[in-house]
Amino acid sequence: MIYGKVWLHVKPSVGIPLFLGAVAVTSFAVHVALVTQTTWLKRYLNGWNASKTAQIEQDVAQANVPPPVALASTTRNSQ
Amino acid sequence: MSDPTASDPSRVWPTGLTEPEAQELHRHLIQGTQIFGIISAFAHLLAYIYSPWLK
Repeated sequence: MIYGKVWLHVKPSVGIPLFLGAVAVTSFAVHVALVTQTTWLKRYLNGWNASKTAQIEQDVAQANVPPPVALASTTRNSQ
Repeated sequence: MSDPTASDPSRVWPTGLTEPEAQELHRHLIQGTQIFGIISAFAHLLAYIYSPWLK
């Protein structure tokens, strides 16, 4: 097996924790980045999924909500 | 009282392992990595199927 002789030069008590630690830290960092840098993972982990989100967005669009009063009055005064 | 393995010419320093011991250790490490990789690939497949990832 290639590279097996590395353990003649690197103490296993140092090299193995270093290797496993590097894997753990890297994968943890990737998953933290996914939670903090994307919107969908946080929502998914809180019980939302794509179809539920799409359904609510569709319901809001169909409800045809009028603009808030403050915004409507601002529009009237500017004319 | 000195370590009897210290004078063994097949041992390599600084670790004091023999080459077959180093190869055996490496074989276990590679096998562990492969098992971890298979479990991880399966977990990512489930995440792909059941989460909004890449959809």
